Amino acid sequence: MATGRVTGSGLSGTTPSTGGRALIILVAVSLSLFTASVRSGDTGVLGALRGGFSAIAMPFRVAGSVLTAPIYGLGNIFANLTADQATLSELRAENEALRQRNIELEEKALLADRLAELMEIQSTYNLQSIAAKVISGSTDSWTSTITIDKGSSAGLSVGMPVVDASGVIGQIISVSPTTSVVRLAYDENSSIPAMIQSNRAQGILSGSASGGLSLDLVRSDLTVNVDDVVVTSGLGGVYPKGLPIGRVTSVERSAGALYLEVAVEAFSRVQALEEVIVITSLTDEQHASAEDIEEADAQEMSAVDNVPEVQTLAQPSDGDGG
Amino acid sequence: MIIVPSIDKNTKRRLTVILAATCAVLQLAIAPNLPLFGGRANFMLILAALLAQLFGGRYGTVSGFLCGLFFDFCSTSPLGLMAFFLTVCSYVLGMEVRNKLADDTSISLTQFSVAAFAVSNAYALALVLLGGAGFFEALFARALPTAAITIACYLPFVMILSRNRQGFTLSSRRGSPSRPGRLR
Repeated sequence: MATGRVTGSGLSGTTPSTGGRALIILVAVSLSLFTASVRSGDTGVLGALRGGFSAIAMPFRVAGSVLTAPIYGLGNIFANLTADQATLSELRAENEALRQRNIELEEKALLADRLAELMEIQSTYNLQSIAAKVISGSTDSWTSTITIDKGSSAGLSVGMPVVDASGVIGQIISVSPTTSVVRLAYDENSSIPAMIQSNRAQGILSGSASGGLSLDLVRSDLTVNVDDVVVTSGLGGVYPKGLPIGRVTSVERSAGALYLEVAVEAFSRVQALEEVIVITSLTDEQHASAEDIEEADAQEMSAVDNVPEVQTLAQPSDGDGG
Repeated sequence: MIIVPSIDKNTKRRLTVILAATCAVLQLAIAPNLPLFGGRANFMLILAALLAQLFGGRYGTVSGFLCGLFFDFCSTSPLGLMAFFLTVCSYVLGMEVRNKLADDTSISLTQFSVAAFAVSNAYALALVLLGGAGFFEALFARALPTAAITIACYLPFVMILSRNRQGFTLSSRRGSPSRPGRLR
Protein backbone atom coordinates (compact mmCIF):
# COMPACT_ATOMS: atom_id res chain seq x y z
CA MET A 1 0.00 0.00 0.00
CA ALA A 2 1.18 3.48 -0.66
CA THR A 3 -0.23 5.24 2.32
CA GLY A 4 -0.32 8.94 2.04
CA ARG A 5 0.09 9.04 -1.71
CA VAL A 6 -3.07 10.07 -3.33
CA THR A 7 -3.95 10.53 -6.91
CA GLY A 8 -6.83 11.52 -9.13
CA SER A 9 -10.20 9.99 -9.23
CA GLY A 10 -9.28 8.10 -12.30
CA LEU A 11 -11.81 9.81 -14.47
CA SER A 12 -9.29 11.53 -16.63
CA GLY A 13 -6.11 10.77 -14.81
CA THR A 14 -4.95 14.34 -15.20
CA THR A 15 -6.13 16.23 -12.11
CA PRO A 16 -5.25 14.58 -8.86
CA SER A 17 -8.07 14.83 -6.33
CA THR A 18 -7.88 13.46 -2.83
CA GLY A 19 -11.51 14.18 -2.12
CA GLY A 20 -10.45 16.20 0.92
CA ARG A 21 -12.56 19.19 0.00
CA ALA A 22 -15.51 16.94 -0.81
CA LEU A 23 -15.01 15.23 2.54
CA ILE A 24 -15.20 18.49 4.46
CA ILE A 25 -18.27 19.70 2.57
CA LEU A 26 -20.12 16.38 2.79
CA VAL A 27 -19.30 15.89 6.46
CA ALA A 28 -20.75 19.35 7.09
CA VAL A 29 -23.84 18.49 5.04
CA SER A 30 -24.24 15.17 6.86
CA LEU A 31 -24.00 16.77 10.28
CA SER A 32 -26.42 19.53 9.28
CA LEU A 33 -28.88 16.93 8.01
CA PHE A 34 -28.43 14.90 11.17
CA THR A 35 -29.04 17.91 13.40
CA ALA A 36 -32.11 18.95 11.42
CA SER A 37 -33.43 15.39 11.42
CA VAL A 38 -32.99 14.96 15.17
CA ARG A 39 -34.65 18.31 15.86
CA SER A 40 -37.59 17.96 13.49
CA GLY A 41 -38.13 14.20 13.72
CA ASP A 42 -40.30 12.87 10.95
CA THR A 43 -42.10 16.11 10.34
CA GLY A 44 -41.39 18.88 7.85
CA VAL A 45 -39.39 18.66 4.67
CA LEU A 46 -37.19 15.77 5.79
CA GLY A 47 -40.20 13.74 6.86
CA ALA A 48 -41.88 14.41 3.52
CA LEU A 49 -38.71 13.38 1.69
CA ARG A 50 -38.53 10.18 3.69
CA GLY A 51 -42.20 9.52 2.97
CA GLY A 52 -41.63 10.03 -0.74
CA PHE A 53 -38.66 7.70 -0.67
CA SER A 54 -40.70 5.09 1.16
CA ALA A 55 -43.43 5.30 -1.50
CA ILE A 56 -40.88 4.83 -4.28
CA ALA A 57 -39.25 1.94 -2.45
CA MET A 58 -42.53 0.12 -1.82
CA PRO A 59 -42.51 -2.03 -5.01
CA PHE A 60 -38.99 -3.22 -4.20
CA ARG A 61 -39.95 -4.08 -0.65
CA VAL A 62 -43.01 -6.02 -1.85
CA ALA A 63 -40.94 -7.83 -4.47
CA GLY A 64 -38.32 -8.68 -1.86
CA SER A 65 -40.96 -10.00 0.48
CA VAL A 66 -42.38 -12.21 -2.26
CA LEU A 67 -38.93 -13.37 -3.41
CA THR A 68 -37.72 -14.30 0.05
CA ALA A 69 -40.94 -16.04 1.08
CA PRO A 70 -39.88 -19.36 -0.52
CA ILE A 71 -36.63 -19.26 1.45
CA TYR A 72 -38.62 -19.31 4.67
CA GLY A 73 -40.72 -22.16 3.33
CA LEU A 74 -37.72 -24.09 2.03
CA GLY A 75 -36.77 -25.38 5.46
CA ASN A 76 -40.25 -26.81 5.98
CA ILE A 77 -40.30 -28.41 2.56
CA PHE A 78 -36.92 -30.09 3.18
CA ALA A 79 -38.12 -31.39 6.51
CA ASN A 80 -41.27 -32.74 4.92
CA LEU A 81 -39.35 -34.40 2.11
CA THR A 82 -37.06 -36.14 4.58
CA ALA A 83 -40.01 -37.52 6.48
CA ASP A 84 -41.82 -38.58 3.31
CA GLN A 85 -38.86 -40.42 1.87
CA ALA A 86 -38.85 -42.81 4.76
CA THR A 87 -42.46 -43.84 4.34
CA LEU A 88 -43.74 -42.73 0.94
CA SER A 89 -40.80 -42.89 -1.44
CA GLU A 90 -42.77 -44.68 -4.20
CA LEU A 91 -45.53 -42.08 -4.17
CA ARG A 92 -43.28 -39.07 -4.29
CA ALA A 93 -44.32 -38.00 -7.78
CA GLU A 94 -48.01 -38.12 -6.96
CA ASN A 95 -47.43 -36.52 -3.65
CA GLU A 96 -45.57 -33.67 -5.28
CA ALA A 97 -48.68 -32.36 -6.99
CA LEU A 98 -50.86 -33.04 -3.97
CA ARG A 99 -48.38 -31.35 -1.71
CA GLN A 100 -48.34 -28.26 -3.84
CA ARG A 101 -52.10 -28.15 -3.86
CA ASN A 102 -52.20 -28.81 -0.15
CA ILE A 103 -49.74 -26.02 0.58
CA GLU A 104 -51.80 -23.69 -1.55
CA LEU A 105 -54.99 -24.61 0.27
CA GLU A 106 -53.30 -24.45 3.64
CA GLU A 107 -52.05 -20.99 2.85
CA LYS A 108 -55.56 -19.92 1.97
CA ALA A 109 -56.97 -21.55 5.08
CA LEU A 110 -54.33 -19.93 7.26
CA LEU A 111 -55.05 -16.59 5.64
CA ALA A 112 -58.75 -17.06 6.32
CA ASP A 113 -57.99 -18.01 9.93
CA ARG A 114 -55.76 -15.01 10.43
CA LEU A 115 -58.33 -12.66 8.94
CA ALA A 116 -61.02 -14.23 11.11
CA GLU A 117 -58.83 -13.71 14.18
CA LEU A 118 -58.25 -10.11 13.18
CA MET A 119 -61.98 -9.63 12.73
CA GLU A 120 -62.53 -11.22 16.12
CA ILE A 121 -60.18 -8.86 17.93
CA GLN A 122 -61.65 -6.00 15.96
CA SER A 123 -65.19 -6.82 17.10
CA THR A 124 -64.21 -7.91 20.63
CA TYR A 125 -62.56 -4.59 21.39
CA ASN A 126 -64.84 -2.55 19.12
CA LEU A 127 -61.85 -1.16 17.25
CA GLN A 128 -62.19 1.52 14.61
CA SER A 129 -59.53 0.11 12.36
CA ILE A 130 -58.05 -0.65 8.96
CA ALA A 131 -56.47 -3.98 8.00
CA ALA A 132 -53.04 -3.89 6.37
CA LYS A 133 -50.51 -6.35 5.03
CA VAL A 134 -46.91 -6.50 6.24
CA ILE A 135 -44.63 -6.00 3.26
CA SER A 136 -41.22 -5.70 4.84
CA GLY A 137 -39.22 -6.00 8.02
CA SER A 138 -36.73 -3.52 9.33
CA THR A 139 -34.27 -2.28 6.72
CA ASP A 140 -31.44 -1.95 9.20
CA SER A 141 -30.15 -3.77 12.24
CA TRP A 142 -30.72 -0.91 14.61
CA THR A 143 -34.47 -0.63 14.79
CA SER A 144 -37.27 -3.13 15.15
CA THR A 145 -39.86 -2.04 12.65
CA ILE A 146 -42.14 -3.42 9.97
CA THR A 147 -43.52 -1.72 6.89
CA ILE A 148 -47.20 -2.13 6.04
CA ASP A 149 -48.94 -1.57 2.72
CA LYS A 150 -51.28 1.23 3.86
CA GLY A 151 -50.34 4.85 4.25
CA SER A 152 -51.73 8.33 4.51
CA SER A 153 -53.95 7.79 1.45
CA ALA A 154 -55.79 5.14 3.48
CA GLY A 155 -56.20 7.54 6.39
CA LEU A 156 -53.28 6.37 8.50
CA SER A 157 -51.15 8.80 10.45
CA VAL A 158 -48.19 8.80 12.79
CA GLY A 159 -48.96 7.58 16.29
CA MET A 160 -51.72 5.12 15.43
CA PRO A 161 -51.43 1.83 17.34
CA VAL A 162 -51.10 -1.44 15.46
CA VAL A 163 -52.34 -4.82 16.65
CA ASP A 164 -52.60 -8.35 15.36
CA ALA A 165 -54.87 -11.15 16.45
CA SER A 166 -52.78 -11.74 19.59
CA GLY A 167 -52.62 -8.16 20.73
CA VAL A 168 -50.53 -5.05 20.53
CA ILE A 169 -47.50 -5.08 18.25
CA GLY A 170 -46.50 -1.42 18.00
CA GLN A 171 -47.21 2.05 16.75
CA ILE A 172 -46.87 3.89 13.42
CA ILE A 173 -43.84 6.19 13.41
CA SER A 174 -43.84 7.38 9.81
CA VAL A 175 -46.25 7.35 6.91
CA SER A 176 -45.97 7.83 3.17
CA PRO A 177 -48.96 7.90 0.83
CA THR A 178 -48.80 4.15 0.27
CA THR A 179 -46.84 2.68 3.18
CA SER A 180 -46.34 3.12 6.91
CA VAL A 181 -43.49 2.14 9.20
CA VAL A 182 -44.52 0.56 12.49
CA ARG A 183 -42.18 0.59 15.47
CA LEU A 184 -42.57 -2.76 17.19
CA ALA A 185 -43.13 -3.03 20.92
CA TYR A 186 -39.73 -4.60 21.49
CA ASP A 187 -37.81 -1.80 19.79
CA GLU A 188 -35.59 -0.14 22.38
CA ASN A 189 -37.29 3.21 21.77
CA SER A 190 -40.78 1.83 22.29
CA SER A 191 -42.78 2.68 25.42
CA ILE A 192 -46.35 1.52 25.94
CA PRO A 193 -48.43 2.40 29.02
CA ALA A 194 -49.45 -0.98 30.39
CA MET A 195 -50.73 -2.67 33.52
CA ILE A 196 -51.06 -6.05 35.12
CA GLN A 197 -54.56 -7.23 34.36
CA SER A 198 -55.21 -8.93 37.70
CA ASN A 199 -54.26 -6.14 40.13
CA ARG A 200 -54.18 -3.09 37.79
CA ALA A 201 -50.52 -2.35 38.72
CA GLN A 202 -49.47 0.36 36.27
CA GLY A 203 -46.18 0.49 34.41
CA ILE A 204 -44.47 1.28 31.14
CA LEU A 205 -43.71 -1.55 28.74
CA SER A 206 -40.30 -0.99 27.16
CA GLY A 207 -38.39 -2.86 24.49
CA SER A 208 -34.71 -3.70 24.30
CA ALA A 209 -32.07 -4.46 21.69
CA SER A 210 -32.05 -8.10 22.72
CA GLY A 211 -35.71 -8.42 21.71
CA GLY A 212 -37.10 -8.68 25.24
CA LEU A 213 -39.87 -6.69 26.85
CA SER A 214 -39.90 -5.31 30.38
CA LEU A 215 -42.64 -3.69 32.39
CA ASP A 216 -40.94 -0.78 34.13
CA LEU A 217 -42.05 1.54 36.91
CA VAL A 218 -44.16 -1.08 38.70
CA ARG A 219 -44.00 -0.31 42.41
CA SER A 220 -42.08 -2.87 44.44
CA ASP A 221 -44.80 -3.16 47.11
CA LEU A 222 -47.28 -4.47 44.54
CA THR A 223 -47.69 -8.15 43.89
CA VAL A 224 -46.83 -9.33 40.41
CA ASN A 225 -46.67 -13.03 39.61
CA VAL A 226 -45.25 -15.03 36.75
CA ASP A 227 -47.93 -15.69 34.09
CA ASP A 228 -49.87 -12.55 34.98
CA VAL A 229 -51.33 -11.02 31.84
CA VAL A 230 -50.13 -7.57 30.79
CA VAL A 231 -52.62 -5.31 29.00
CA THR A 232 -52.59 -1.73 27.78
CA SER A 233 -53.63 0.78 30.43
CA GLY A 234 -55.03 3.35 28.03
CA LEU A 235 -53.04 6.13 29.68
CA GLY A 236 -51.69 8.61 27.19
CA GLY A 237 -54.64 8.16 24.89
CA VAL A 238 -52.75 6.29 22.16
CA TYR A 239 -53.58 2.64 22.83
CA PRO A 240 -57.10 1.47 23.68
CA LYS A 241 -57.43 0.31 27.26
CA GLY A 242 -57.34 -3.44 27.90
CA LEU A 243 -55.66 -4.76 24.77
CA PRO A 244 -53.55 -7.84 25.51
CA ILE A 245 -49.78 -7.45 25.18
CA GLY A 246 -48.13 -10.45 26.80
CA ARG A 247 -47.54 -12.37 30.00
CA VAL A 248 -45.07 -11.95 32.82
CA THR A 249 -42.15 -14.39 32.61
CA SER A 250 -40.10 -13.26 35.61
CA VAL A 251 -40.29 -10.81 38.50
CA GLU A 252 -37.25 -9.60 40.40
CA ARG A 253 -37.19 -7.50 43.52
CA SER A 254 -34.00 -5.72 44.45
CA ALA A 255 -33.57 -4.73 48.06
CA GLY A 256 -34.27 -1.04 48.47
CA ALA A 257 -35.43 -0.61 44.89
CA LEU A 258 -38.56 1.43 44.28
CA TYR A 259 -39.67 -0.62 41.33
CA LEU A 260 -39.88 -4.26 40.33
CA GLU A 261 -38.00 -5.70 37.37
CA VAL A 262 -40.70 -7.44 35.38
CA ALA A 263 -39.87 -9.34 32.20
CA VAL A 264 -42.69 -9.84 29.73
CA GLU A 265 -43.15 -12.20 26.80
CA ALA A 266 -45.30 -10.77 24.03
CA PHE A 267 -48.28 -12.75 22.78
CA SER A 268 -47.60 -11.65 19.19
CA ARG A 269 -45.03 -13.47 17.10
CA VAL A 270 -43.67 -10.52 15.18
CA GLN A 271 -41.37 -12.70 13.11
CA ALA A 272 -44.40 -14.33 11.52
CA LEU A 273 -46.58 -11.27 11.06
CA GLU A 274 -48.45 -11.06 7.78
CA GLU A 275 -51.63 -9.09 8.42
CA VAL A 276 -52.23 -6.44 11.04
CA ILE A 277 -54.91 -3.99 12.11
CA VAL A 278 -54.23 -0.29 12.48
CA ILE A 279 -56.46 1.37 15.05
CA THR A 280 -57.54 4.64 13.53
CA SER A 281 -59.52 6.14 16.40
CA LEU A 282 -60.57 5.36 19.95
CA THR A 283 -64.04 5.43 21.41
CA ASP A 284 -64.69 7.13 24.75
CA GLU A 285 -64.74 3.88 26.70
CA GLN A 286 -61.37 2.88 25.22
CA HIS A 287 -59.66 5.88 26.77
CA ALA A 288 -58.34 5.62 30.32
CA SER A 289 -61.04 6.86 32.70
CA ALA A 290 -60.50 9.59 35.24
CA GLU A 291 -60.39 6.88 37.93
CA ASP A 292 -57.61 5.07 36.03
CA ILE A 293 -55.58 8.25 35.84
CA GLU A 294 -56.15 8.97 39.54
CA GLU A 295 -55.18 5.41 40.40
CA ALA A 296 -51.97 5.68 38.35
CA ASP A 297 -51.13 8.98 40.02
CA ALA A 298 -51.83 7.48 43.42
CA GLN A 299 -49.53 4.54 42.73
CA GLU A 300 -46.75 6.84 41.62
CA MET A 301 -47.19 9.22 44.57
CA SER A 302 -47.26 6.27 46.94
CA ALA A 303 -43.96 5.04 45.48
CA VAL A 304 -42.35 8.43 46.02
CA ASP A 305 -43.75 8.76 49.55
CA ASN A 306 -42.45 5.33 50.49
CA VAL A 307 -38.84 5.91 49.51
CA PRO A 308 -37.35 6.19 53.02
CA GLU A 309 -39.65 3.50 54.34
CA VAL A 310 -38.72 1.03 51.64
CA GLN A 311 -35.02 1.67 52.14
CA THR A 312 -35.29 1.28 55.89
CA LEU A 313 -37.26 -1.90 55.60
CA ALA A 314 -34.93 -3.32 52.98
CA GLN A 315 -31.78 -3.13 55.09
CA PRO A 316 -32.53 -5.80 57.71
CA SER A 317 -34.03 -8.18 55.15
CA ASP A 318 -31.41 -7.78 52.44
CA GLY A 319 -32.00 -10.32 49.72
CA ASP A 320 -35.54 -10.94 50.80
CA GLY A 321 -37.82 -11.10 47.81
CA GLY A 322 -40.65 -9.55 49.70
CA MET B 1 4.37 3.29 -7.00
CA ILE B 2 0.81 4.41 -7.22
CA ILE B 3 -1.32 2.53 -9.67
CA VAL B 4 -3.99 4.65 -11.21
CA PRO B 5 -6.69 2.94 -13.19
CA SER B 6 -7.30 4.77 -16.38
CA ILE B 7 -10.82 3.45 -16.65
CA ASP B 8 -12.67 5.29 -19.33
CA LYS B 9 -15.72 7.28 -18.34
CA ASN B 10 -18.21 4.90 -19.87
CA THR B 11 -16.79 1.85 -18.14
CA LYS B 12 -16.69 3.68 -14.87
CA ARG B 13 -20.24 4.94 -15.24
CA ARG B 14 -21.51 1.54 -16.31
CA LEU B 15 -19.78 -0.20 -13.42
CA THR B 16 -21.12 2.35 -10.94
CA VAL B 17 -24.68 2.02 -12.24
CA ILE B 18 -24.59 -1.77 -12.13
CA LEU B 19 -23.16 -1.87 -8.63
CA ALA B 20 -25.49 0.87 -7.37
CA ALA B 21 -28.61 -0.77 -8.83
CA THR B 22 -27.65 -4.18 -7.47
CA CYS B 23 -26.86 -2.93 -3.99
CA ALA B 24 -29.93 -0.66 -3.84
CA VAL B 25 -32.27 -3.50 -4.76
CA LEU B 26 -30.55 -5.82 -2.29
CA GLN B 27 -30.77 -3.18 0.44
CA LEU B 28 -34.46 -2.55 -0.17
CA ALA B 29 -35.68 -6.03 -1.04
CA ILE B 30 -33.40 -8.62 0.52
CA ALA B 31 -31.77 -7.11 3.61
CA PRO B 32 -35.06 -6.46 5.47
CA ASN B 33 -36.29 -9.99 4.92
CA LEU B 34 -33.18 -11.97 5.78
CA PRO B 35 -32.04 -11.02 9.27
CA LEU B 36 -29.38 -13.29 10.76
CA PHE B 37 -28.55 -13.33 14.48
CA GLY B 38 -30.12 -9.89 14.92
CA GLY B 39 -28.10 -8.29 12.13
CA ARG B 40 -28.91 -7.25 8.60
CA ALA B 41 -26.44 -6.76 5.80
CA ASN B 42 -25.60 -3.15 4.99
CA PHE B 43 -25.35 -3.21 1.21
CA MET B 44 -24.81 0.54 1.10
CA LEU B 45 -21.61 0.10 3.11
CA ILE B 46 -20.56 -2.54 0.59
CA LEU B 47 -21.32 -0.23 -2.34
CA ALA B 48 -19.53 2.73 -0.77
CA ALA B 49 -16.48 0.62 -0.01
CA LEU B 50 -16.36 -0.93 -3.49
CA LEU B 51 -16.56 2.45 -5.21
CA ALA B 52 -13.96 3.90 -2.86
CA GLN B 53 -11.64 0.97 -3.42
CA LEU B 54 -12.14 1.06 -7.18
CA PHE B 55 -12.02 4.77 -7.83
CA GLY B 56 -11.16 6.54 -4.57
CA GLY B 57 -10.72 10.29 -4.44
CA ARG B 58 -13.61 12.71 -4.71
CA TYR B 59 -15.69 10.19 -6.64
CA GLY B 60 -15.41 7.65 -3.82
CA THR B 61 -16.12 10.22 -1.12
CA VAL B 62 -19.23 11.57 -2.85
CA SER B 63 -20.39 8.01 -3.53
CA GLY B 64 -19.98 7.20 0.15
CA PHE B 65 -22.12 10.16 1.12
CA LEU B 66 -24.87 9.20 -1.33
CA CYS B 67 -24.80 5.58 -0.18
CA GLY B 68 -25.11 6.71 3.43
CA LEU B 69 -27.98 9.01 2.55
CA PHE B 70 -29.76 6.16 0.79
CA PHE B 71 -29.33 3.99 3.89
CA ASP B 72 -30.65 6.80 6.09
CA PHE B 73 -33.74 7.15 3.92
CA CYS B 74 -34.31 3.39 4.12
CA SER B 75 -34.06 3.34 7.90
CA THR B 76 -35.98 5.15 10.62
CA SER B 77 -32.88 6.56 12.29
CA PRO B 78 -31.98 10.25 11.93
CA LEU B 79 -31.00 11.33 8.43
CA GLY B 80 -27.34 12.10 7.87
CA LEU B 81 -25.91 9.72 10.45
CA MET B 82 -24.91 6.87 8.14
CA ALA B 83 -24.11 9.47 5.44
CA PHE B 84 -21.53 10.94 7.79
CA PHE B 85 -19.94 7.60 8.62
CA LEU B 86 -19.86 6.36 5.02
CA THR B 87 -18.42 9.67 3.77
CA VAL B 88 -15.53 9.38 6.21
CA CYS B 89 -15.19 5.63 5.57
CA SER B 90 -15.10 6.10 1.79
CA TYR B 91 -12.55 8.87 2.08
CA VAL B 92 -10.27 6.72 4.21
CA LEU B 93 -10.67 3.65 1.99
CA GLY B 94 -10.06 5.73 -1.12
CA MET B 95 -6.96 7.45 0.22
CA GLU B 96 -4.63 4.66 -0.73
CA VAL B 97 -3.87 2.78 -3.92
CA ARG B 98 -6.67 2.87 -6.49
CA ASN B 99 -8.24 -0.29 -7.74
CA LYS B 100 -7.20 -2.32 -4.75
CA LEU B 101 -9.65 -4.95 -5.81
CA ALA B 102 -7.45 -5.74 -8.77
CA ASP B 103 -4.26 -5.20 -6.85
CA ASP B 104 -4.73 -7.38 -3.82
CA THR B 105 -8.09 -8.83 -2.87
CA SER B 106 -6.98 -9.95 0.57
CA ILE B 107 -5.89 -6.43 1.50
CA SER B 108 -9.20 -5.07 0.22
CA LEU B 109 -11.07 -7.62 2.28
CA THR B 110 -9.05 -6.85 5.39
CA GLN B 111 -9.58 -3.13 4.99
CA PHE B 112 -13.28 -3.61 4.35
CA SER B 113 -13.59 -5.80 7.43
CA VAL B 114 -11.98 -3.12 9.58
CA ALA B 115 -14.24 -0.50 7.98
CA ALA B 116 -17.37 -2.62 8.48
CA PHE B 117 -16.65 -3.15 12.17
CA ALA B 118 -15.71 0.49 12.64
CA VAL B 119 -18.80 1.87 10.88
CA SER B 120 -21.19 -0.60 12.56
CA ASN B 121 -19.80 0.07 16.02
CA ALA B 122 -19.67 3.82 15.51
CA TYR B 123 -23.25 3.82 14.25
CA ALA B 124 -24.34 1.70 17.22
CA LEU B 125 -22.54 4.04 19.61
CA ALA B 126 -24.21 7.06 18.01
CA LEU B 127 -27.62 5.45 18.44
CA VAL B 128 -26.79 4.64 22.06
CA LEU B 129 -25.92 8.28 22.61
CA LEU B 130 -29.22 9.26 20.99
CA GLY B 131 -31.02 7.28 23.67
CA GLY B 132 -31.47 3.88 22.08
CA ALA B 133 -30.25 0.57 23.41
CA GLY B 134 -27.70 -0.10 26.10
CA PHE B 135 -24.07 -0.03 25.04
CA PHE B 136 -23.38 -3.76 25.23
CA GLU B 137 -26.68 -4.72 23.65
CA ALA B 138 -26.07 -2.37 20.74
CA LEU B 139 -22.54 -3.67 20.32
CA PHE B 140 -23.07 -7.40 20.67
CA ALA B 141 -26.69 -7.82 19.56
CA ARG B 142 -26.58 -5.44 16.62
CA ALA B 143 -23.21 -4.07 15.54
CA LEU B 144 -21.16 -7.27 15.50
CA PRO B 145 -23.73 -9.43 13.64
CA THR B 146 -24.29 -6.59 11.17
CA ALA B 147 -20.57 -6.24 10.48
CA ALA B 148 -20.13 -10.01 10.13
CA ILE B 149 -23.05 -10.40 7.71
CA THR B 150 -21.97 -7.35 5.72
CA ILE B 151 -18.48 -8.76 5.34
CA ALA B 152 -19.94 -12.09 4.19
CA CYS B 153 -22.05 -10.28 1.59
CA TYR B 154 -19.04 -8.26 0.45
CA LEU B 155 -17.15 -11.41 -0.53
CA PRO B 156 -19.11 -12.27 -3.72
CA PHE B 157 -18.77 -8.69 -4.96
CA VAL B 158 -15.05 -8.50 -4.41
CA MET B 159 -14.51 -11.95 -5.93
CA ILE B 160 -16.46 -11.09 -9.07
CA LEU B 161 -14.79 -7.71 -9.46
CA SER B 162 -11.29 -9.02 -8.88
CA ARG B 163 -11.82 -11.88 -11.35
CA ASN B 164 -13.06 -9.47 -13.97
CA ARG B 165 -10.25 -7.02 -13.52
CA GLN B 166 -9.25 -7.72 -17.11
CA GLY B 167 -12.23 -5.61 -17.99
CA PHE B 168 -10.46 -2.56 -16.60
CA THR B 169 -7.46 -1.17 -18.36
CA LEU B 170 -4.97 -0.37 -15.67
CA SER B 171 -1.82 1.52 -16.24
CA SER B 172 1.19 2.25 -14.11
CA ARG B 173 1.63 5.99 -13.79
CA ARG B 174 4.35 6.61 -11.27
CA GLY B 175 6.18 5.07 -8.35
CA SER B 176 6.56 1.33 -8.01
CA PRO B 177 3.63 -1.05 -7.91
CA SER B 178 3.15 -3.18 -4.84
CA ARG B 179 2.43 -6.21 -7.00
CA PRO B 180 3.31 -5.40 -10.55
CA GLY B 181 2.83 -8.94 -11.78
CA ARG B 182 -0.87 -8.85 -11.00
CA LEU B 183 -1.61 -5.69 -12.86
CA ARG B 184 -2.11 -5.04 -16.51
